[in-house]
Amino acid sequence: MTLIKNNSVSGDAWHHHIAEQGLPTNHDIVSLAYWLENKTTLIKSGLILGLLVDGNEDFETIEGELTHFSLIAINFPTFADGRGYSLAKSLREKSNYAHEIRAVGDILPDQALYLTRVGFDALELPTKEHAGLALDKLSEYSVFYQPEIA
Amino acid sequence: MYLYNEFDQTLVNERVEQFRDQTKRFLNGKLTEEQFRPLRLMNGLYIQTHAPMLRVNIPYGLLSSKQLRMFAHIAHKYDKDYGHFTTRQNIQFNWPKLEQVPDILSDLASVQMHAIQSSGNCIRNTTCDPLAGVCADEIVDPRPYCEIIRQWSTLHPEFSYLPRKFKIAVSGSPKDRAATEVHDIGLHVKKDTEGNIGFEVLVGGGLGRTPVIGQTIANFIAEADLLSYLEAILRTYNRFGRRDNKYKARIKILVRETGLDIFKEQVETEWALLRGKKLTLSKQAIERVKDHFNPLSYDNTNDNALEKHLNTSGVFRQWVKQNTTSHKQAGYRIVFLSLKAPNTPPGDVTDLQMNHIADLADTYSFGELRTTHDQNLALTDVKSSDLYALWQQLEKHQLATPNIGTITDMICCPGLDFCSLANASSIDIAQGITDRFKDSAIDTGKISLKMSGCMNGCGHHSIGEIGILGVDKKGEQWYQLTLGGSDSHQSKLGDRLGKAIAKEHVVDAIDDIIHIYKLNRNDGEDFANTLERIGLQPFKDKVYDAH
Ligand code: SF4
Repeated sequence: MTLIKNNSVSGDAWHHHIAEQGLPTNHDIVSLAYWLENKTTLIKSGLILGLLVDGNEDFETIEGELTHFSLIAINFPTFADGRGYSLAKSLREKSNYAHEIRAVGDILPDQALYLTRVGFDALELPTKEHAGLALDKLSEYSVFYQPEIA
Repeated sequence: MYLYNEFDQTLVNERVEQFRDQTKRFLNGKLTEEQFRPLRLMNGLYIQTHAPMLRVNIPYGLLSSKQLRMFAHIAHKYDKDYGHFTTRQNIQFNWPKLEQVPDILSDLASVQMHAIQSSGNCIRNTTCDPLAGVCADEIVDPRPYCEIIRQWSTLHPEFSYLPRKFKIAVSGSPKDRAATEVHDIGLHVKKDTEGNIGFEVLVGGGLGRTPVIGQTIANFIAEADLLSYLEAILRTYNRFGRRDNKYKARIKILVRETGLDIFKEQVETEWALLRGKKLTLSKQAIERVKDHFNPLSYDNTNDNALEKHLNTSGVFRQWVKQNTTSHKQAGYRIVFLSLKAPNTPPGDVTDLQMNHIADLADTYSFGELRTTHDQNLALTDVKSSDLYALWQQLEKHQLATPNIGTITDMICCPGLDFCSLANASSIDIAQGITDRFKDSAIDTGKISLKMSGCMNGCGHHSIGEIGILGVDKKGEQWYQLTLGGSDSHQSKLGDRLGKAIAKEHVVDAIDDIIHIYKLNRNDGEDFANTLERIGLQPFKDKVYDAH
């Protein structure tokens, strides 16, 4: 996995938490289901956590949990499922979420630019090669008809 | 017409380079077919039965002679010397080679054209009334708004992976010549009592397997709010539209399953957050686009010369009556070029014809032309004194068949001959109908006949006064007939006549239908009205007793 953060390849301070391996530690990204099940304990623990949601997750459900997280990872089950784009944009523009929003799952280098245009500032690509290509793709356009993300 | 500024041109050029790279990676095996598919579709490239098909946008149906010459050039250089005009203001090339498509796109970009989002699950080419700006009944010219929508929807980062394709059509006249009621969004430009411009917004119309007439979701959205309102609808659709079944993924199904009232609430919740922000259109922004659509500089002229010409030739008279219509400017006429000549598939034009038409547009119609929803072309600004000379030229190039609005002016999809989804052929049926009716079409009067080779309904069969749909029966080609559909004023879906008809009997069945109509019609009554008065039964009896 190679991470692109703010338009360059970057090291990753975060880990995807695996429920079977016990309690999370600082900078773990937990799934929404795991979070909802263990919310009280996790809040008490004071850990710095990220939240993993599917692109089709109800915006209203996530919105209520945002204050607990320093990162939201949105999963694309397939690259053709565009719901994650609207979700990211809503998190930025409706909820004014200011921390990292990361795209994970089935994303293609060719989608990198659109992803960043709707508010993702981090992209998880499967390999270095993919990440390199995605970076090239980020500068393919110099003009846009749509306004910048708020 | 709208001319690209540096910004528009840069974007289109960058798009060409992007696709060049994607094609190269696909051909090198770096992109799988599955990964390449949405990328090529968003550049208008389908894989059909024989070869790729490239669909090019003609934004709101407006073309310059220079652009048409480029189509001729492309047809000649990369294809088999012809192009096919569709019902949605596109042109399709049926035989390009994949590796040449980037070059074609680059040629198109040189005349301010592109194939961006002409297919794929994204916002497609926005279409409009082909007579915008010249018809006498117009309230507001819809073209500037179409251009504004074109820009907003082009490479929209949030709405490029929608559940399904998304089509918008705009009309600015009481008479709907853009089939707005069968689009995902239909917009009717209106003025309120104070003269402010706004839009009635229809949502959830569409043809295909489940034809639905769009419903009004908002009566008046002010022009400043147009884009924020569209964005709210699209976001609601992107979030909630079904993705589990591609046949249920269009917005019409979402609206039906959610209910218009709840859907409207969802849209308005989104809109509340978007309204009044960055997408708001300022007066200046709208004016800037409108400046490109100022009325042409018409001469002060009259119809005296035309009157004289009308007396000289009966054939000319017939053509004027059938293929031209009134213009808002005295002394001018709108001229339709029939692309339904006998022996050519509906909508097809050769490269030579395109070059001739371009010359005629330059000589007689301000160098511009339009594509219509009925797969014809129009020279919209011709001096009536020039009609006779123009007609003679059109005759020479098989573009003056006097059949506009008649049964031989049918809409027809490519069907089995080109389309891999087809159940049945449509071009040969069209041919059969043309042969049968070519001498009696004018006498038969105004009838819309529309034909699709499968349920997807690209030939709009369900809104034809006579609809023909190709169906597959155990590997054989059969045809389902419907009567009474309509796409003007109040759109209406046709009713099934009865069980499907075998291929060899289709033309006879159409003949039977016309026979019953002629037998029953009152003086001057057109097909739709006779059908409404006498009902389906007499037609049924005739068609099914006979076969
Ligand atoms: S209606 Fe069917 S056969 Fe005709 S073009 Fe569309 S998909 Fe192909």
